[in-house]
Amino acid sequence: MLMMLQQALRVSARGAFPLLKWMERCTERVSAGHQGARTLDQMPGPNVLSFAWDLFAKRGLSRLHELQVRSMPSFGPILTVHIADPGLIEQVLRQEGLHPMRSELSSWKDYRQLRGHHYGLLTAEGEEWQTVRSLLGKHMLRPKAVEAYDQTLNSVVSDLIDKLRFSRKKSGLVPDIASEFYRFGLEGISSVLFESRIGCLDPVVPEETERFIQSINTMFVMTLLTMAMPQWLHQIFPKPWSIFCQCWDYMFDFAKGHIDQRMAAEAEKVSRGEKVEGRYLTYFLSQTGLPMKTVYSNVTELLLAGVDTISSTLSWSLYELSRHPEVQSRLRGEVLKVLGDRRIPNAADVAQMPLLKATVKEVLRLYPVIPGNARVITERDIQVGGYVIPKKTLITLCHFATSRDPAVFQSPDEFLPERWLNRDQSHHPYASVPFGVGKRSCIGRRIAELELYLAISRILLEFDVKPDPGGVSVKPMTRTLLVPESQINLQFIELRPSPLPLPPSLSSSSSSSLLLNMDALYETERTKRGAGIISHHLQGSCLDAPSPQRQNSDLGQE
Amino acid sequence: MALVTAFRRLAQYSRRSVAVLSSPAVWHSNPRSFTSGIQPLRADNKVTVHFVNRDGEKVTVKGSPGDSLLDVVINEDLDFDGFGACEGTLACSTCHLIFDEDIYKQLGPITDEEMDMLDLAYGLTDTSRLGCQICLTKSLEGMVARVPESVADIRQSKDGSA
Repeated sequence: MLMMLQQALRVSARGAFPLLKWMERCTERVSAGHQGARTLDQMPGPNVLSFAWDLFAKRGLSRLHELQVRSMPSFGPILTVHIADPGLIEQVLRQEGLHPMRSELSSWKDYRQLRGHHYGLLTAEGEEWQTVRSLLGKHMLRPKAVEAYDQTLNSVVSDLIDKLRFSRKKSGLVPDIASEFYRFGLEGISSVLFESRIGCLDPVVPEETERFIQSINTMFVMTLLTMAMPQWLHQIFPKPWSIFCQCWDYMFDFAKGHIDQRMAAEAEKVSRGEKVEGRYLTYFLSQTGLPMKTVYSNVTELLLAGVDTISSTLSWSLYELSRHPEVQSRLRGEVLKVLGDRRIPNAADVAQMPLLKATVKEVLRLYPVIPGNARVITERDIQVGGYVIPKKTLITLCHFATSRDPAVFQSPDEFLPERWLNRDQSHHPYASVPFGVGKRSCIGRRIAELELYLAISRILLEFDVKPDPGGVSVKPMTRTLLVPESQINLQFIELRPSPLPLPPSLSSSSSSSLLLNMDALYETERTKRGAGIISHHLQGSCLDAPSPQRQNSDLGQE
Repeated sequence: MALVTAFRRLAQYSRRSVAVLSSPAVWHSNPRSFTSGIQPLRADNKVTVHFVNRDGEKVTVKGSPGDSLLDVVINEDLDFDGFGACEGTLACSTCHLIFDEDIYKQLGPITDEEMDMLDLAYGLTDTSRLGCQICLTKSLEGMVARVPESVADIRQSKDGSA
């Protein structure tokens, strides 16, 4: 316990030689007011050698979230204070100021400057950020606005269900569900952004969408590396940076292509004298007089933010539900009770499903997509736990550590959604904040939640979800975001005998031979894609690279 | 900020001491001072709300039915520092307000999403709600809403840099 307290607040620095110190949290009792507060010099840090050993010799880059729990701070090129106590995280977030900033240093920003792109919500700061946040917040976060997306999202969920049926082997096994859910995530966010479908869930996935997803994956792997490497090292080892840029180039092009296409279609309608009434986010953005470059960068960042987040959370949800059949069956019961004889829930329905919400909360507690976040308070010194943290200090918030802290959650590694149902059995409210808190918290939160609720409830109505009989337990790993370390394969057993529906793009065709052909084509596509995956290789080299790096994720909190 | 507050207090004081002001144009930048003082005859269908600010002072304003309490605070330019940081998008809990029990019971149902945000609020009570989620109705006429103190306020006022 004492160790835990000691670990709550840590600081490390890297100058000419590493300077690391430890700090005891008992000092939190130091009375308020700067007089009694201690300085960072008085804060202890950890043993740098054992941390370096963990990080590089023991595949620490992909286990950063575990190192958080084991109390090891990262040591970046700049001073960073690690905070792994819910009460202290609360203190930081309450003092984040008018325009909260995640971190000053970011390879994401460097890329945009290099290419002359504008910043999007993930990368912008200050007034520039506030303008777009205010605009999009209205359409993305307000409960009434979010409800309006349920029909759009339901049509994407319908395609997902068809796609799962299509991808199933004889035993009902769907291999690598995360890759199916990547496409679902991309299709979902696209439908909200463009109000049109881009075919990610078609039997044959358009190559450009596969490339987009691959670019996101690789970019995230490269993010850790490019942020860890000082500028001069990029000259000697140019590859990570150039791959990183290529990925971003592709993502920007992809978004621009879709926006331009949409805008052109709209313009054509207007020229024909038709009324244009967009209910999609790109439309709202483009109607505000913002420069097109700002629209492009925001749409790119929103697209990217909607993919891994949805995919990981949905994968983990079904993974845990498959291993807890009793929870799964109770959840199915809840869905059936609310829906009666209907099969498709809407936003108002899922609002009445407490166990469903508790399940998603519990999944995000166990597997927070953003395992660690950061804040830089630029305008003034703040006081946290009795220490004065000078302005502009990078403060790392160790969310994974707090959400698995046995002092906060009983049996922290167990999947127990019930713990969220009883409000009297409460834990520290800042212990699990997967979407962040406050004005810079995840702008896609409500849409993502709705998307997850609609998808999980529908999947459970159609399938009994079971673990892969030959499968093993899967652990999370850090790839900037927290993702499954290995493939998750699950069995989807049909709950009600019904004729096998045709995949969406074939529903109009009744030719079964065509179906067979498409099936073969689809298999070929999958094989081709497998060969084209570069992220695995890159991952390997990334893990071997002996460079210091920070934990801060740039996603999730826009 | 401190200057603005001082000005507002002065304005309030002036309003109290000078019952009728012949030229309200002077005060246009701060319409709050007048909604209750100068235009009592325009009773219309507005709803009177009494806010108790962090200094314990009562500020009386009017809002239209359907407006949220956060809308009222913004429309009336009330200076509750840090209030409504996320602009009513249910992403923070800075528009936390505390009500008397009888009013609290009339405020309508609370969603899980609001409840989750309230959990993160400073100084949570059994009769706390988020101002952005409370819409005015005629039946709430004369309601009192107390703005709780926040940690940030205590720190900021100590620093003298509100």
